[in-house]
Amino acid sequence: MPPLRPKPACPWEKDNCPVLAELLRLQKECRRLKELSRTDPLTGLYNRRYLLTALEQEMERTRRTGLPTTLIMLDLDHFKKINDTFGHPFGDGVLRRVACLLKSNIRKIDIPCRYGGEEFALILPGTRLSQGRRLALRLRGILEQAWTEARHKTGPITASFGVDTYTGREALTPEDFIHRADRWLLVAKARGRNTVCLPEASPSQPEVGLSSEERRLFYLSPPSCDKTGESYG
Amino acid sequence: MAELKFCCITSGKGGVGKTSLAVNLAFTLARQGHRVLLVDGDLGLANVDVLLGLEVKANVRDVLDLGADPQATVIYLGPNLGILPASSGVPEMANLSPEDQQDLEEVLRVIAAPFDLVLVDTGAGLGPAVLWFNRLAHHSLVVVTPDPTALTDAYALIKVLFQQYQRRHFLVVLNHVQGEPEALQTFSALDRAVKRFLGFTLNYLGAIPTDQAVKLAVRNQVPFITRFPQSKASQAVERLATRLLNLGSDPQVSHSRKPRVQAVT
Repeated sequence: MPPLRPKPACPWEKDNCPVLAELLRLQKECRRLKELSRTDPLTGLYNRRYLLTALEQEMERTRRTGLPTTLIMLDLDHFKKINDTFGHPFGDGVLRRVACLLKSNIRKIDIPCRYGGEEFALILPGTRLSQGRRLALRLRGILEQAWTEARHKTGPITASFGVDTYTGREALTPEDFIHRADRWLLVAKARGRNTVCLPEASPSQPEVGLSSEERRLFYLSPPSCDKTGESYG
Repeated sequence: MAELKFCCITSGKGGVGKTSLAVNLAFTLARQGHRVLLVDGDLGLANVDVLLGLEVKANVRDVLDLGADPQATVIYLGPNLGILPASSGVPEMANLSPEDQQDLEEVLRVIAAPFDLVLVDTGAGLGPAVLWFNRLAHHSLVVVTPDPTALTDAYALIKVLFQQYQRRHFLVVLNHVQGEPEALQTFSALDRAVKRFLGFTLNYLGAIPTDQAVKLAVRNQVPFITRFPQSKASQAVERLATRLLNLGSDPQVSHSRKPRVQAVT
């Protein structure tokens, strides 16, 4: 949030002006509520509502500036088991620690959100897919390492990651974008969890291998090439 | 499974009218009393469910991982017409391992079981999902327009499916033609190229003329077959549907190891 503006002066230069005091109190309350409406109370990260608002803004920025926006969706693996085994207060502690780890390993401009349950979302403004992939890989390693000390009876707690990038070339709503990254997260879950999945940089298209002759088949060819008299126009 | 007709509607090039043909063909066949499943195989692009404001209750992944009811992935637009939306988790499956693809194939068969006919609207291009669906299908409908780029892309698709999966049975649908002569002329150009370079012949399924009704219907987001049933395009689609149904009884024209005898022209 932007810093508070300097305290306004009372137009009648009264000390202890009650109207001014009330104004300041409302201003403060307004800031508090605004903060509350966009924060997840458990982890202190941004909540889902703010995720959608921020994503909308960043995607608009992408459309205007051409700078890509990358979105990382991550979901803790087998989290239900942790809740069931160690109880919900412990599970909440895990979520808070994960939030803390996320916050301390991203840039100031990145927007960390709790999407719901044990799923988190990171908006990375002005970030290419390859950079987003690198961050996701780093975070995956950090989370994997975080619970390996002997005093943690849980064993390693890992997460699966889906990464996708919006380049502004297609019309996409924030929901669509989340859905797309979520799909890669599902792929990561399907591939055995504790992994990062994202669209391939160059989709693996098979070699078509059309000869130059095949390539020209359906175009009107100059008469000198048309030895057989056939035309494929 | 032998009676079930699994048709892929595919093209190589985008924007030649694949989806429009798939939707209108599905509506036509459903209206004639056949139970039709329309699969939106168009990865991540225009999702049928989003366009129609439908709600997906379960996706294919839920079926594979959690044992959800496969039928819950299908959205019904009428008693005879089911839709399996792209968002139901099919697309990314094409990038998965062979075992996962086999699982998906099984699930698709379960989902398709109550239907007489499955139409898959594949995406454009030659991506893994497009090839995967075509490999699965009994019939590959290749949609082309007289545009040389569309013809070249269709040829490339046919070549890849032939070289990689030994497919040599293709039903060609000409879209956006000015009349039957142009349709036949365009078809024979493609057919001659395939005969010359790949050594087999194509089947001509039919043509859809350029029709103002199609444009109007698209703008109104309804199938032209329901909005303008008397239009030239609608009548053409009805003829296509009839031919498609009649083909199924002829083993020579579906994908099989038996040698093909004659092109249906």
